[in-house]
This record gives sequence, C-alpha cells and structure tokens, in this order.
Amino acid sequence: MDTALLIEWLIKSVILLFFGLTGFAYLTLLERRALARIQVRIGPNRAGPWGLLQPLADGIKLIFKEELIPPLADKPLFILSPILTVLPALIIWAVIPWGRQIVIAGREINLYLTDINVGVLYLTAVASIAVYGITLAGWSSNNKYALLGGLRSSAQMVSYELALGLAFLGPIMLAGSMSLVDIVEAQKNLWFVVPQFLGFIIFLLAGLAEVNRAPFDMPEAEQELTAGYHTEYSGMKFALFFMAEYIKMIAISAIAATLFLGGYRLPFIDLPPILDPVVLFIKIFVLVFGMIWVRATLPRLRYDRLMALGWKVLLPLALVNVFITAVIMVFTG
Amino acid sequence: MTDTTLVAEHPLLERFPEGVTPDERKGYEGFIVAADRLVEFATALRDEFGYDYLSSVTGVDYLPDGKMEVVYHAYKSTGGGALVFKVQVPRENPVVPSLVSVYPGADFQEREAWDLLGIRFEGHPNLKRILMWEGFAGHPLRKDWKEAYFEEEKKPFGSRWPGGAVHRAEDENPFGKNVVYPPDFDPEKWTPVGDEALYAGLREFKKDDDLKTEQVVVNLGPQHPSTHGVFRMVVTLDGETVVRLEPVMGYLHRNHEKIGERNTYLMNIPFTDRLDYLSSMSNNWGYVQAVEKLLGDKIQVPERAEYLRVIMAEFTRIVNHIFAIGTLLNDLGAYFTPMLYALEERELILDIFEAVSGSRMMCNYFRFGGVARDLPPGVYEKMRDLVFERLPRKIDELDRYLTENEVVRARCEGVGVLTPEEAIAFSAAGPVLRASGVPYDVRRADPYGIYDRFEFDVAVRYHGDVYDRYLIRLDEIRQSIRILQQALDQLPEGDVIFGSPKYSMRVPAGEAYGRVEGPKGELGFYVVSDGSANPWRYHVRAPSFINLTALSRMCEGDKVADAIIILGSIDIVLGETDR
Amino acid sequence: MLTNWLYVGLFIIVALVLPAVTIIVPRFIAPKKPNRIKVDVYECGIETVGEAWVQFKVQYYIFALVFLVFDIETVFLYPWAVAFDKLPLFAVMEGVLFIALLLAGLVYLWRKGVLEWA
Repeated sequence: MDTALLIEWLIKSVILLFFGLTGFAYLTLLERRALARIQVRIGPNRAGPWGLLQPLADGIKLIFKEELIPPLADKPLFILSPILTVLPALIIWAVIPWGRQIVIAGREINLYLTDINVGVLYLTAVASIAVYGITLAGWSSNNKYALLGGLRSSAQMVSYELALGLAFLGPIMLAGSMSLVDIVEAQKNLWFVVPQFLGFIIFLLAGLAEVNRAPFDMPEAEQELTAGYHTEYSGMKFALFFMAEYIKMIAISAIAATLFLGGYRLPFIDLPPILDPVVLFIKIFVLVFGMIWVRATLPRLRYDRLMALGWKVLLPLALVNVFITAVIMVFTG
Repeated sequence: MTDTTLVAEHPLLERFPEGVTPDERKGYEGFIVAADRLVEFATALRDEFGYDYLSSVTGVDYLPDGKMEVVYHAYKSTGGGALVFKVQVPRENPVVPSLVSVYPGADFQEREAWDLLGIRFEGHPNLKRILMWEGFAGHPLRKDWKEAYFEEEKKPFGSRWPGGAVHRAEDENPFGKNVVYPPDFDPEKWTPVGDEALYAGLREFKKDDDLKTEQVVVNLGPQHPSTHGVFRMVVTLDGETVVRLEPVMGYLHRNHEKIGERNTYLMNIPFTDRLDYLSSMSNNWGYVQAVEKLLGDKIQVPERAEYLRVIMAEFTRIVNHIFAIGTLLNDLGAYFTPMLYALEERELILDIFEAVSGSRMMCNYFRFGGVARDLPPGVYEKMRDLVFERLPRKIDELDRYLTENEVVRARCEGVGVLTPEEAIAFSAAGPVLRASGVPYDVRRADPYGIYDRFEFDVAVRYHGDVYDRYLIRLDEIRQSIRILQQALDQLPEGDVIFGSPKYSMRVPAGEAYGRVEGPKGELGFYVVSDGSANPWRYHVRAPSFINLTALSRMCEGDKVADAIIILGSIDIVLGETDR
Repeated sequence: MLTNWLYVGLFIIVALVLPAVTIIVPRFIAPKKPNRIKVDVYECGIETVGEAWVQFKVQYYIFALVFLVFDIETVFLYPWAVAFDKLPLFAVMEGVLFIALLLAGLVYLWRKGVLEWA
C-alpha cells in the first residue's frame, strides 16, 4: 500500500467520522427544533444564532459531568457496553457509498471508503453487534429497569433484524450483487422502491425498530422503565448511547436511501459526481425528518404487540416478498 | 339530606330494632349503629336497601365526650341522598369492625382513619399506615396530638410575634430534630413491615412452570416520570406481566385535615385549592357547599353567583379532562405533542380564571354565599368566544387526531377493565365509575347548585377499559360545553355574594357533607362544627385517593406498560391523593 | 479485494478513537465525588430489594433461540439472491422451496404458541 493511498484513505476516514459526529450533533438540534415546531413551541434558540451552538453546549456540559458507576455493577462490562454500542453505528459507514469518482488535483478519488463485494452482509453483521452493547449495558448495571430494558431491546432487535435482513434480499436479487456501489448503479433509471415497495415498507418499519425509535422505543420506554438500559449511565457514557442512537438513525436512513431510493443518484439526470453526496444527503434528511415526525406523532406500542408485529406480520411478509420477487423474476427473466 | 322525621320512621329501624338508633344530636343526621351490629347492618343496607355505594368513611375525635366516632356515607348507585350511619366507640383503644368485606371501597379509607385517628378496624386485611410512615409517633388527627413546635390550638393565633420577636418555623426546624419516634422504634434498624411480606414474592417460584423463573419486585415511583407525582407502585413482575401491584402513597402528605381544623372557616377556602391543584374551582365549591349546608337558611346564594359557580366548575372540568387526556397520551409514549396541544386550550381557560380570581391555578374564588368577585369587563365575551367557537372545534380536533389512532386503540382497548359491579364496590367515582357503565353523576344523582336547570347527558361508556375512560373524558368535555353554553346564555345580572363579605362567621353546631361532581369524581367535604370559629372536623373525600383502591385489581395480569396507562386513566393528582 | 477489508479494519481502529476519547477525557476533567447515596442503584428513590441478576423470564431467551435458527437460514439466502440471475431454474426453485420451508417453520412455531407473549 503506497503512502499517498494511505493518506487519502486516512483523510476520508477522518472526514467520514467528522461528518458522522457533526451529523449526530446537528440531528439532535434538528430533532429538538422540529419537535418543538410540531408541538407549537420554539425549542432551543439561545445558544448561538438559531440555537446552532446548542449541541456544542450540551457536549461541553456532558464532558464536565460526574460519571457514576454503581458499585454493584459489573465494571468492565459497564464501561465496555457504550463503546460496543457506538462502534457499530460508526463503522457501518465504511461501506456506504457517497458518490462516484471525483478528480482532485489529477487524482481519482472514490467517494466511498471501500467497496467490498459483500457490503450488505457487512451491514447486517455490524448492525447485530449493537444488540450486545445494549443488552450488556442493561445487564451490567445491576438495575431492574436497566435489566428489563436490556432484555426487551435484545429480544426486539433480534426479532426485527430478521425482517430487516430479508428486506435486504429484494435489492440484492434485483441488482445481482451485494456491493452497495453496484446496487446504487443498478438503480440508475429505476429506484428499487418501485419494484420492491413492500420490501421498502418492511425495511422502514424494521429499521425504526432496529434503531429503537418511536413508536418502537421500547428499550428506553421512559414511561415504564425511566430510561431503560441506560438508566445508570451518566456523563459522557450516556452521551455515547445517545450518539449511537442518532448516528444509527442517520445510518439506517442512508442504507434505506442506498438500497431503495437510488443512493447518490437521481433518475435520468446525470449530475456531476461532485454533487453526489448532496443528493444522498437530501435523501437522508427526508428520511430522518420522517423519523422525527413519527416520534412527534405516535404513541408507543406495547411490548408484546411489538413482538407480535415483528414475528407475525413483518417476518412472514418479508418471506412472502422474497418469494414473490423470485417468482416474478423467473417469469420476466 | 335526610330529615329527622324520615329517620325516625325509617324501615331500617324496624329491620334492626336493637343496636340501631337515630342520631338525635342537634344538627346531626343518620343512625348510630352499635359496633357489634355494624357488618350485619352494612350488609343489609347494601343488599336489602340498595345502598350499594359507600362514598365516604372517616372518623371524628369527640375529645370532650371521650368518644371516637366513625362516620359512613352510603348512597344508592341509582341516585338520591345519603344514608349516614355512625359507630361510636370509646376514645381509648377504639376498635370498629372493618367493612372491607361488605364495601371493598372502604379499604384505603379505613387505613387512613387508622393512620390518622388510631381507630383499629378489626378484620381489615391490610391495616397499616397509608399516609404517614411506619414508625410515626401517634395519630395526628387526634385532638390531643400536637406537632413539633406546636403553637396554638386555633387560628388566628394570639400574636404572630410572641415575645415581640419575629419567629419563623424554619428557624426552629433543624433537620431531623423535630421528628419524634415511638419508644420502641429505631429508624436505622427498621425494615418496612408490610413491604417485607410484599417483597417475599421475589423468592417465590411459580409452581406450575417447568422452567423456573424468578419474579422481580420493581418500584415504580416515587421518583418516576409517569406516576404523575411522588406516587409509588410496588410491582411484582413475572417477565413483563404484573403479578401483584401495591400502591404506596403519602409522600406528599401534609396533614391537610389537621391544618384545616386549625384554620377558620374562611381560611379553608384557599386551602382547598391546594388539594387537586388542577381544579381548584371545584374544590372550593365542595367545601363551600358543606359549610353552606351547616349555615342552612342563614345564607342564600344569589342567582348570578349560582351561574358563575356552574360556569367556573364546568370550565374546571374541561381544564382537568383535557389535561388528563394529554397526560394519558404521554403515558402511552406519545412524545408530548398531544399534551402540548391540550395545554394550549387549558391556558386560554386559565386566562379566564386569572381574570375573575387573580390567579391561574390557586383561584380561591368561591365564598360562603356566593363568589368573590364579579366578572371583569370583557371576560364574558371571551368566555362566549371560547365556549361557542374555539373549544368545540378543538375538542373535535383532539378527537380526530387521537380516537381512531391505531396505536392508541391497540394499547387502550381491553386494558385495565373494571366491571360495573367492581366499580361500585370499590367506591370508584367520576369518569372511572361512568366508564364502567354506571351512569352515576352527582350533578344528576343528587343535584346541587342549579344543575337541575340545565340540559345535559350523563356520559357513560360500557367497557370499563382505558379506552373508555379516555372517551368518557371527551364526552364529558362536550357535555360541559353544552352546560356552559346554556349557562352563558341565561346568566342573569345581580349580586354575586349574599350580604357583605365577612371575615368570620358563626357556623351553628352540627355536621354536613357537601359533595360535588369534581372532574376526578365525587369530591366530598365532611365538616363538623362545634359552633366556634373553626371547624371541629374537616374531612376531604378525595376521589384521586379512593379511585386508587381499584388500581391493584385493574393492573393484575396486565403488562407493566399497561399499569402506567391504567394509572394515567384514573387521573390522579397527588396533592389530593396524599393531602 | 483484501485491501478493501484492510480499509474496513483500519477504519474500525480509527473509529475506536472516538469512544476511547470520550471515555478517557472526562476522567481528567470531570469531577469525581461519589458517595453512597449518589452511586446507589436507581429505583425511583427507593432502596432496591433483591438482585437484578435473577433467573429471568424464559420467554426472552426462547425468542433468541428462534432468532438464531431463522437468522442463519436467512444468511443462506444471500448467496442465492446474489447469483439469482445466473442460476438455472432448478436452483431457483430450490431457493423458493427453502423459503417455503422457512415459512412452514414459522407457522409451526406460531401454532406451538412460541410467538405468544405470555
């Protein structure tokens, strides 16, 4: 590996992480402002113009907060679990393509970190790791709310992972590849949301459940479990869970955009590659805003009904979807 | 009210030739039952005479007579006046048979009477303190009980500056120094008696299950986001399912009734604001009504004041129900949006309260014989606009957003069911009772004020689940708007208070039970006067408190998430529950 | 191809920096004055009774087991889906049959009541 490549790669990684972090920070602000608007309030608008410095203020506050570790907790796991939660949310970005090649100073640069041929498999694999973080956080706290929240979330996340994994199959079959770049390129003229509409809906629902957002925010379930699995966490460790949730929100939106909404491409129009990230960003924004909107609108499902929805509705539907896709593809060639 | 001639010829006296006598003290009513006949009497009352609804149980300490009296108010769930019966026992070590087996709704109230007055109820399944903590010395509502740094028996105190110096209670209240423990009590070594038995469920294995699972005891509350205050539910969980639920309260207890007995009659009006702080107007009315009953024909409420009372009480009902719906949705996990939509309307109504009374929440608006002030200019138009234009529209909007929502229906329907029989037995009141299919509304069943002049329907729903308790609040808001529209149209001119406002008044000796249909249910005030400037006994029948009696029954077998919304659907305010 | 994976591996290491920093930095700048009440287990202000680490309801674990079976079977479908266009009809039908079997398994579990949350 030559040095130039290494440097290029390093810069890309750092930029990606930087955008991940900024995205997280401003997503919290966006959520608070958007929720406030929906609820006939104003929202945070004091720190900086339009409250733009609010995330920074929150971050600084959290850094200076005392972190408590309950003496009865399992200390190594207690510290490990926030890391284990936030890490998958970050590394999932490695395979999401932001655009095609651009040329800077005579050098061809791919607008993605890497294009592995089993990209989709990587996504599912990484998404599964997050379950450990939350479950261990719940268990290691030695707190009853946390335990309940942790167990709930593990059962919930694995249940919806099945539907999520099966929803991936449609685009894979249509594109004939597990590489995300290939999948995007296959949607040059027709977004997969059209032939895979059912798959898209399943993906959205399962995705909401996978990132524990309303109305599937069972693991936190403030009304019953105070704060669920992160009840005992404070300071920056709490911030890590928070960060994981929001970065995952962006990530799941990016995946949905990539698999079903043409990723960084617009149909029929060939934009210069430099605008590709903007296109993807707009799609992510729309999806993320949808998530916020849902949170402002819907009450929470009850746990047993949530599981029933996952196993009795989404999973059979996802299987049927694959089945139908296969049959149709055989007949249409 | 039952008048004396009726009592003297009451068929109950024939049924019980011995052990039951009419209460012949001046200003008193009802029957005095011998303690050993009480359960038999109550059973007959319920089964043969149709008095199936035990509204209020409380005790009175008649220190000069050396007697402790327990007062029961029973009603027919089909409507009509009260049947009052009493048991008198000696003050020292008073023992009364418990009526929980006949009226399960007596449960918490008997515990309260034990806690505050030291009356032991024989046969009560769980007779322990409910508002005070275990290890509290004495029973504070007894007349000879004195608090730390006791000053004087009655207000107004002789001097605010005894010895010529300003003196503040907090200065002589160093933390912990004002607490007295019973002689055999060590707070460091003590573990809660009742809780121990409750926590024993932790180590129980389910017998019929081949896979052994341990049940977990979890405390929901007191510091919990959705118990609506410092209320605690000790829940035994088998996985997600609630096996047992025990409500624990009293964290906000301030011995409202003792303070009320120290106050003069007038001082208690603003004090009732602090009970259910969301609906102070209704609280005022209940108390004022009781005292006006005692005053009898010495006082007449002017026509305009009667209308203003109805208007304020109905606005209060709207405020309360709209808030209850908002918080219920919050309990369901909707992130504050319905709540804030509801609060917007509430604020507009509070504007009116502020205009008439000077305060948005602690209104202190009612007076004996009327209300404190007339409407300021412009308020009448504002009310009209709200009642005829804005509120009906907004209620329809809430209805449209929430009622048919899939998640709301899935979460609420069939959850926390209370059958009509149970609802009556547990003395549930207000929306909880009516959602169970019992069309009992004090405004209709035992009309007070001028409610008999208005056209409105008693809202009733039949499933008794959380969803119906939500719907019935919408129904009641609509009915309140109907009443308001009529009241505003008919509002006459004239005085708003009888005579000139007085600071103190001579209240004849006797007892009175004033009850209104508060937004949360039947709110009753039992006031005993000994003819002096302060009430001898001042008891609040708090619907938030008594409705909780049925909580365990409603929650058992449901999921832990349901327990939260069931509590939300009862709609409690801790200021009233704990008093 | 392997370099692609190398990128991923290196990215993971770089990504680890972030949580590491957030865990380590507060150690130096955040105050640390724990006392017994502060670090106590939170249970709404009541002293907790019994352990949280109990033999918990088995239902959660049953779901985990069922998940394991289905998840592995789902992963088997991935290569099939990738090569879908190039497969002969026979292989396609085999895949379809496999999905049908999965559905049958789900129906079996359903009938057995495993999916009911008691």
